[in-house]
Amino acid sequence: MRDLSAYSVDHGIEIASPNMLGASVKRVEDPRLIGGHGRYVTDVERPGMLHATFVRSPEAHALIRAVDTTAARELPGVVAVFTGEDLREATSAIRADAGYPTWQTSARPILAVDRVRFVGEPMAMVVAVDRYVAEDAASLVMLDLESLPPIMTVDQGLAPDVEPFHDGWETGCYVTRSKESGDVDGLFAQADHTLKLRMTTQRYAAVPMEGRAVVAELDPHDEVLTIWDSTQVPHLARTGISQHLGHPEHRVRIIAPDVGGGFGLKCMVFPEEIAIPFAARALRRPVKWVEDRVENLTASAHARDARDDLEIAFNDDGELLALKAHVVIDSGAYSVWPYTASMELGTAVNQMPGPYRFRAYRGEGAAVATNKTPHGPFRGVSRVAATFALERVVDEVARFLDMDPIELRKRNLIRSDEFPWESPGGYVFDSGSYIESLEKLAEMSDVAELRRRQRDLREQGRYIGIGVSCFNEQTAHSFAEYAERGTPVVVGYDKAHVRMDADGKVTVFVDTHAQGQGHETSYAQLVAAQLSIPFEDVRVSFGDTETAPAGMGTFASRSMAMGGGSIQLATRDLKAKLVRLAAHMLEASPEDVELREGMFFPAGAPARSVSVREIARMVHLQSNKLPPGEDPLLETSYSYRGDPGTGTFPNCAQLVVVDVDPDTGKVTLLDYFVVEDCGPVINPMLVEGQIHGGVAQGIGGALFEHSLYDEESGQPLATTFLDYLMPGATDVPDIRLEHLYTPSPWTPGGVKGAAEAGTTGSPAAIANAVADALRGFGDVLVDELPLTPERVYAHILAARAAQATPATPDPR
Amino acid sequence: MREIEITVNGERRREAVEDRRLLLDFIREDLCLTGTHAGCEHGACGACTVLLDGQAVRSCLMFAAQADGSELTTIEGVGSYPDRLHPVQEGFWEEHGLQCGYCTPGMIMASIDLLAENPSPSDEEIRERLAGNICRCTGYVNIVRAVHHAAAAGREDQS
Repeated sequence: MRDLSAYSVDHGIEIASPNMLGASVKRVEDPRLIGGHGRYVTDVERPGMLHATFVRSPEAHALIRAVDTTAARELPGVVAVFTGEDLREATSAIRADAGYPTWQTSARPILAVDRVRFVGEPMAMVVAVDRYVAEDAASLVMLDLESLPPIMTVDQGLAPDVEPFHDGWETGCYVTRSKESGDVDGLFAQADHTLKLRMTTQRYAAVPMEGRAVVAELDPHDEVLTIWDSTQVPHLARTGISQHLGHPEHRVRIIAPDVGGGFGLKCMVFPEEIAIPFAARALRRPVKWVEDRVENLTASAHARDARDDLEIAFNDDGELLALKAHVVIDSGAYSVWPYTASMELGTAVNQMPGPYRFRAYRGEGAAVATNKTPHGPFRGVSRVAATFALERVVDEVARFLDMDPIELRKRNLIRSDEFPWESPGGYVFDSGSYIESLEKLAEMSDVAELRRRQRDLREQGRYIGIGVSCFNEQTAHSFAEYAERGTPVVVGYDKAHVRMDADGKVTVFVDTHAQGQGHETSYAQLVAAQLSIPFEDVRVSFGDTETAPAGMGTFASRSMAMGGGSIQLATRDLKAKLVRLAAHMLEASPEDVELREGMFFPAGAPARSVSVREIARMVHLQSNKLPPGEDPLLETSYSYRGDPGTGTFPNCAQLVVVDVDPDTGKVTLLDYFVVEDCGPVINPMLVEGQIHGGVAQGIGGALFEHSLYDEESGQPLATTFLDYLMPGATDVPDIRLEHLYTPSPWTPGGVKGAAEAGTTGSPAAIANAVADALRGFGDVLVDELPLTPERVYAHILAARAAQATPATPDPR
Repeated sequence: MREIEITVNGERRREAVEDRRLLLDFIREDLCLTGTHAGCEHGACGACTVLLDGQAVRSCLMFAAQADGSELTTIEGVGSYPDRLHPVQEGFWEEHGLQCGYCTPGMIMASIDLLAENPSPSDEEIRERLAGNICRCTGYVNIVRAVHHAAAAGREDQS
């Protein structure tokens, strides 16, 4: 059992300028970005720089007989061509192992050796004077491959007689899992009804507009390898690259400048991030590689790809009793570093009971290896698919009981006075407003009026659907999550360093990088609020391992709780010193010193005062005046860990109105409503931007995006933006958004993660809306994403032919 | 190689380019104007949008040689902080119309092109015109607001 006695943690933070919090301060990042002066890795130029391109496997599964680089090497302008054999000794294959007893390991060479396991796997690296020449030469590399039959479905991978996918494998799975809590079988036996449904979420991808990019340069003065890397996790990248390249960490410097979107894709370490520094070190010249879009769509990482079999036990009155989940993830060809191929499965099994008061739960499943691009994190890891699956099932229960889906949810959601709630999935929910959010959603969308409109339009031959989803989700994971998975890196803290210079201005050094979230702005607000100095007097620095404290970086909506938490606590400690020094200068006791608008003064005597700047000047320039025991230092560091519990759990509810075209199956979104509760908000404008963008990515997943493969040949079919359909401005409606502000009892300032809620809930809401619209045609079970016109039209045809099988619970 | 003459952000230049050199690479690598970004290099995402003789074009779908004799405007020629921001740039800043900033220069160029044709666009007209520019961060909600903001500023300037 966890010790939750410290349910409420007082961090001793006092806010001197409350107007800095909850304020939509304009972003300090923007002037450079709107002027075209952003600095992305692709903009980095170094003297004598060479350009690399990769030769990638054209086959899903094959033995490598030979890689002939002769012709490529002879092309003028080519400096080097490396193959897997060239890197075999100098680098180590990537192994990302989880600690589960059922784990089976995969070794991923930096460039393929002996065998290729997916289309797009890097086989050779060409380095030349420019990219045009490099690509010319890449087309001259001759590959001699012996094709092998690929594993292209999870069912093939689960077959008992499957060939070992990696050396020494006994099954086709990286890992299997099972956990159980409460009397599952007993509750299923007593329930009035049970319902079993399969829900499938397709494989799709993060697709940031800037792909991956690496520039590496070895400094001959000190053998420091500087690597400009488009990454969310500079220090993790440093560790990963150092480890696999055999170059010590203190001689590896990662610079992540402006990063053009990440969404989870860039929190892993990929083979290319090791191959490019390898080439720079071997050739002693700077080398640049910029991923193109085809590589990004086929050879970086994919995500989701979950098949969820859910079975739910419930009573006539709508009480949900118990849940069984069997989750199968298509994890692709290799385990990704450092999250491992256990990530999607592990969190899905934990997450599945969602925000409901299930009394018992059994979760199990498998992560299956296939000859596809490796599976990695993408905004809303496991929660997107799990929420889609559970919320669809809950809607089908409501339909069977002929209950309003909002009412059914409200009856079963955890109440706000029941926290902390220990979920049967293993999580501890810190706080939340599950029912209140849903009520607010019903009110803001005027759902009763929407239903009336729906009926009117139905009479005019239009098929309108209204869909709801509600969920909570783990963000800012504490140690517990990764310790359970036994991953190579156990995430659960982050660090900040705060420095005040002689002019009273502050620089914050932090590792939680930003890829669009606006941390340079929101973090500065946190500091200005406590120190009561102008916002402009705070500068936020991240993205360079030479200056930022070593931390875990940005993913899993952890930056405001973890990075922001450590900033708040380091600032608290800096302020404590300023207060002591102010007291000394004012000849008052520290308890009696107050701070307002950058001035310290004795309580009740504002006429005598000393400014933050005067104290800073004394500390740095006249330290002879410091009282005994105080050193001439205005710098503090803090490492915040998210204990107790298993992270912070924001919650959210979404309602969407869709229009289904009966002649084409096209789904149009008419209205979109969101109520989100991520605790107190530092900068509402930024949080709203995160929700808007998150919803748009969910719309993409619900309706368009699909990293589809030909199952016979193993060829990827969505390799450009002509086949991989990204949502555009005409696909995303205006999004109406309201907030609730339930604080986490544990984090500094009560903040929770905000970045993933939009994405997590939108496929579920859209699928429920489409299912609602399709009810006009008869019995249709919406059970698979994306809801392309083709799939929706097939549902319409099936319903019209009265062939669809309704979701009928077993009789009791 | 061939020689081309091109006016870049108001400055006349004579440059030698390889026949196959993309206008995008010419802008980024030869002119060192790195505000124009490569998003897909197959004309689908709009990140590389620039103005050629006042019209929005995708610089990844053209050769530099095809721009011979033209007037090229990139994001760097539009305006800059602190005192020369274009109303469209102001709009994107005010309305939080950008997050990672990678698609933003192309989005701003497309928006300038839109407002030149239609100074008071509706929501639908903005969405239709920008549908060829992909943004992965914002969900377009604030981009639409940013264009409205710029349009309103443009109307104010004229009155």
